[in-house]
Amino acid sequence: MTNPEPHSVPNPLTKNITADNVATPIDRYRENDGYCGLLKALELSPQAVIDSVQAAGLRGRGGAGFNTGLKWSFVPDQDKVPGPRYLVCNADEMEPGTFKDRLLMERDPHLLLEGMAIAAYAIGAERAFIFIRGEYFLATERLQRAIDEARAAGLLGKNIGGNRFSLDIYLHRSSGNYICGEETALLNALEGKRAIPRAKPPFPQVSGLWGQPTVVNNVETLCNLPHLISHGEEWYRQLGRHKDTGTKLFGVSGRVKNPGVWELPMGTPVREIIEQYAGGMLDGFRLKGFLPGGGSTDFLTPDHLDLAMDYDVIGEAGSRMGTGTITILDDHSCPLGLTLNLQQFFARESCGWCTPCRDGLPWVVEILTRLESGNGRAQDLDLLEELATGMGPGNTFCALAPGAAEPLLSALKYFREDFERHLQYGGCPFADDRRALLLPA
Amino acid sequence: MAKVTITIDDREYEVDEGQNLLHACLGLKKNLPYFCWHPAMGSVGACRQCAVIEYMARDDTRGRLIISCMTPVRDGGVYSLEDERAQSFRAGIIEKMMVNHPHDCPVCEEGGECHLQDMTLMSAHTMRRYSGRKRTFNNQNLGPFINHEMNRCITCYRCVRYYQDYAGGRDLQALGRNQQVYFGRAEDGRLENGFSGNLVEVCPTGVFTDKTFSRRFVRKWDLQTAPSVCEHCGVGCNTAPGARDDGKGDPRKLRRVVNLYHRDINGYFLCDRGRFGYEYANSPERILQPLQADTQPLIQSTAAAGEKIHRPLPPQDAVAQLADIIEEARLGKRRLLGIGSTRTSLENNYALKTLVGPANFYAGVSAGTLQLLHLVNAIQQDPQIHSPSTPEIEQADAVLILGEDISNTAPRIALAVRQAAAEQQRQRARALDIPLWQDASVRQLDSPPTPIFIAAVEGTDLDGIARETVYATPDEIAELALEVVNQLPGAVTESQTEASDSLATQIARALASARKPLIVCGCGLQSPALLRAAAALAKALAANPVNSEGTASCALYLACADANSLGLTQLCSEQQHLEQLLSETAQENSLPSTLLAMEVDLFWQLPDEQAARILHGNQLIQLDSLYNHTSRFAQLLLPSAATPESEGTFVNSSGLAQRYYTVYEPSGYIQESWRWLANATAACAARAGGVEKIPALADMAQWQHVTQVSAAMAAGIPQLSPLSELGPDWNTLVAGAPVARQSHRFSGRTALQAEVAVAEQPPPRDPDAPMAFSMEGIQFAGYSPLQANIWAPGWNSDQAIHKFQNQPGGERAPAASGQSLRRATKVFEIQVTDTGVPKTPVNADLLTTLPLYRLFGSGELSRRARSIATVVGQAFVHLHPDDARALALCAGEQVCLPGSDTTFEVKITAVAPQRCIGISAGYSSPQAVVAMSPQDIRPFVENPQGNSS
Repeated sequence: MTNPEPHSVPNPLTKNITADNVATPIDRYRENDGYCGLLKALELSPQAVIDSVQAAGLRGRGGAGFNTGLKWSFVPDQDKVPGPRYLVCNADEMEPGTFKDRLLMERDPHLLLEGMAIAAYAIGAERAFIFIRGEYFLATERLQRAIDEARAAGLLGKNIGGNRFSLDIYLHRSSGNYICGEETALLNALEGKRAIPRAKPPFPQVSGLWGQPTVVNNVETLCNLPHLISHGEEWYRQLGRHKDTGTKLFGVSGRVKNPGVWELPMGTPVREIIEQYAGGMLDGFRLKGFLPGGGSTDFLTPDHLDLAMDYDVIGEAGSRMGTGTITILDDHSCPLGLTLNLQQFFARESCGWCTPCRDGLPWVVEILTRLESGNGRAQDLDLLEELATGMGPGNTFCALAPGAAEPLLSALKYFREDFERHLQYGGCPFADDRRALLLPA
Repeated sequence: MAKVTITIDDREYEVDEGQNLLHACLGLKKNLPYFCWHPAMGSVGACRQCAVIEYMARDDTRGRLIISCMTPVRDGGVYSLEDERAQSFRAGIIEKMMVNHPHDCPVCEEGGECHLQDMTLMSAHTMRRYSGRKRTFNNQNLGPFINHEMNRCITCYRCVRYYQDYAGGRDLQALGRNQQVYFGRAEDGRLENGFSGNLVEVCPTGVFTDKTFSRRFVRKWDLQTAPSVCEHCGVGCNTAPGARDDGKGDPRKLRRVVNLYHRDINGYFLCDRGRFGYEYANSPERILQPLQADTQPLIQSTAAAGEKIHRPLPPQDAVAQLADIIEEARLGKRRLLGIGSTRTSLENNYALKTLVGPANFYAGVSAGTLQLLHLVNAIQQDPQIHSPSTPEIEQADAVLILGEDISNTAPRIALAVRQAAAEQQRQRARALDIPLWQDASVRQLDSPPTPIFIAAVEGTDLDGIARETVYATPDEIAELALEVVNQLPGAVTESQTEASDSLATQIARALASARKPLIVCGCGLQSPALLRAAAALAKALAANPVNSEGTASCALYLACADANSLGLTQLCSEQQHLEQLLSETAQENSLPSTLLAMEVDLFWQLPDEQAARILHGNQLIQLDSLYNHTSRFAQLLLPSAATPESEGTFVNSSGLAQRYYTVYEPSGYIQESWRWLANATAACAARAGGVEKIPALADMAQWQHVTQVSAAMAAGIPQLSPLSELGPDWNTLVAGAPVARQSHRFSGRTALQAEVAVAEQPPPRDPDAPMAFSMEGIQFAGYSPLQANIWAPGWNSDQAIHKFQNQPGGERAPAASGQSLRRATKVFEIQVTDTGVPKTPVNADLLTTLPLYRLFGSGELSRRARSIATVVGQAFVHLHPDDARALALCAGEQVCLPGSDTTFEVKITAVAPQRCIGISAGYSSPQAVVAMSPQDIRPFVENPQGNSS
């Protein structure tokens, strides 16, 4: 999964990751400047850490792209809200097509722990939780070992680095629900309640885990902190190639020659990622479209290949950079089939709390299934569009259904012809194609 | 409350600041559909049904969709309900909810009062576009009270929010996810929470419906109704019973009971005893016609000594017999002694008292109970003590429950105390600027538990919300209360809690630092010392400077057992109890005595032996609704109307007099007790040659309307003078029209009686209230508080109530019923050193007897309701494990107690005081003793030796 070629660009996130499938042990991690960021942070005031992270322009890598330092700064003072603070690492990586956090956790778990320690110090948390996807057995095992190593080395626990800072990190395995990736649903799940999102406001920074101020950050976001603090915000800003700063793990899956995940500067053009790193399309396949950042982002087309992978650039093109892991739609695959597959996922993973999502998504699935099997009706496409629009942002309780609507609406926009062909053809026009190429259905 | 100005669809309104927009819209009587929001449970934003458009400013024409229940009103805010986008979004939400709804309205019990039906029409969703299969569920058997039909569910989450968050239940959960969310139990079985019946009203559609109603179902619009007051405990919840005559002579006319909103008492919720207890009125044991003891003893009768066999008697003969007796008494040839009742109206009691004369009137309760009731009455007269309303209880910030098991003796009060448990969270929410209506956000806050302390004689349903619980004898609980009084002065000055504090100190600190402290006590444990101690503590707190905004009074809720316990107390002195009656009848007297027992079962009030002694040698005439143990000894039995069959006044435990109205004309020859007495008196007058010939009873002989009885009381008894203001007000009729008990959609009017006669029968007339037993008259609840059918155009479900409140959760308009008694203000003198707490019994070998109450089982009438009877279970005794060991008794064993034929099941529980025996109350006659010797507890033997043939 790592870059097969020698790194031509700085790779602070993956510098310890080799071709061997092993977790970087603590001694090797420390030899390579490991935990220096934490020790440096402990020299600074928490506010200085927050300011530095904010100035560095680190944006949340979970998909929303919110400024991390700014997010931390919303944690109120002790006089306003007394009591403990919590840091929660969102390691519930369940976005379709996304496998970047897994790489970091399996291969370099101490990087995450160091990042968490820095974040916890900044917000004044003495307890932190890693909420990890239940299927990530290997990552769970390696993280737990890393936590034990760090504790034994005095880098976790009481009085870290001889300082007054203490931190305990707990690893919590999810029982498996996509919605747990939503930060407030994650908090409910962590508390042992039903995994349904919470209303915002109050934001978790004010009332989060057990009603106390809480920051929830993505794995990759936290992994950016050690080198950000070690080398300073100026250095970090320089890592980006476009407006956004730092490096990011980008991935490609689909019918490309070399699917995988690579650490690249923010702002790397899509074309470069697909053609250079992923090796371009497999022979006999053409790029028809792609989801730039996971299953809940809008389709883009070959026209968008020269866009920089930057939050705002992709946003302006009508999609979201999301997790930065690209899913390829090729010309032999049915766009409707891919959309149906995604909608089935979202319908199944709906927590069942709000109506447009709970009852709208299964209806979308019902329509797409009918279209795919040749039982479509002329008015179905308009109905799909209406249902998807009804799930727009603000109409639903959380971002799950709006995320599900994104690939659906954009598929209707870019691949409407293919949808209409299902009506005319009385079934999936790609089915024969698939059979001819001996492709799975 | 500060006001803000908002604009809705180009009209300006002033609304309360801090409210959410949905609440404001409903308060303005706008039709805005909603599901998950509930006035008592706030907003969670799940259903998305109440979406409207909000504009950034007046010149903003685009606006954005917002969910009104989750949006606080903004001063200057501009909103639109009618915007096309908002309307089509709302229609879309309904359409999605309907994707799986079975559209089984014609066979659904909710049909006709279904919030989902109403909202569907309001949202104008008419065409179904979904063509796929519907998801289906298996239903559960949730016990005898509630039906479960999950396919109808629209997943609004109200049921679990009510059941778990509001009522504290644990055995109903949201299970599964996505479109498969299932609201049910882990397995089939009765819902354990004592407030489960409210699910029927909380559920906006037909998932949870009333099983007792389903058995003999009719549509809401086919029910006739009137405002009533629950007769099953002393709280005085307002109810709207629904009745229908099937036209075929079935005497079971009462079909169900639903909540009737009263802000200060029951709000939106009833307990299960109140909701399902109504079935006693349909019991096959109802007395439907006068009965007379047969003079010919039956061969092979199983009747015991003194027990009589009854045969029907024409009502005029019954009245004549009663008139004979009154006549004899009037002429000094017979002694006529009346026994009044705590479960019937002031009017009935007053009529009996008038008939027999004040000196011969006795309260149908034991000496101990009457002493307690007079004590409650005296305590409530103290200016430093006030009886809190339900909203006040819900907002208490420190609570001490002294002995009374309110979950079983005053359930609605327990539900209110449960809301107080969230007071600390609410305070934290205020500090964080989280609106209190944002329910889930408030409930997730971390906060110390509200200081709720419970001293009890067994584990109670509220233990889970208590900071500390202590299990002790009534005397020990009284001592604890007094210890708290002693600790108060210190607690006021230093409020920091320390680990070494004794429980009394902890309680004292919590109460002293509370702004709205609440003490709860009651008559349940039969301890005057406990009541005095509670009063002493409340008075000491009232003097505390921190306490409640300088009102210098402390909230003290005192629970009384019956619907009219405090009312009867107003009519008799502390000495007029059954023991006094016993000694009176035991005295040598040349005159024969007749006891006139009205709606009282002596064997319920007294130990068997004492009850039997009262009856021994005296003629008994009984007026009652249900045949009971006492009835077996009656010479003459007259059928009395049950509460929903009559009009009258109850005084609840807070001293609030409330009038209930006749819901339906009872079957057979049933009529109100006062009317039987007045009829007999009139017969007497007729024989004597005119009312002027019997001056003492002249008024009574002319009573035609219950309001005449009320007026006589109001004029004659100072503390009851507010009765004259209770209504009904005959002058407020709109254009002279009465209030219609039947809805304008009532069906079968001309067909129901067709078997009897083809010609339409005129409806019965109501002489007592400006109400009609027909469809004619005032239909709209906004015109008269007597209209209990809460209906507004487009709102067929109980949710229509907001149209008749000044705002959701506010006061009913026109004002709800109830007048506080005008009792003289009198300081309740009490010395902390002299509360009458008896010293520990000298004989340490004795076990103290404790009455244990059950929601289902301890209610005299409700335990005879058909469905409740199936869950009452067997009489039981509670023992501490140590005592059980000493007595060599095991759990499940059957034992007998002295003076009782009942067998009791032994239950062993560690949450009980030692050296005590808890005895289920209401399952047998009360025990004669306050302490019993262990030798008295005998194992039950199926076939005792010597009896075998």
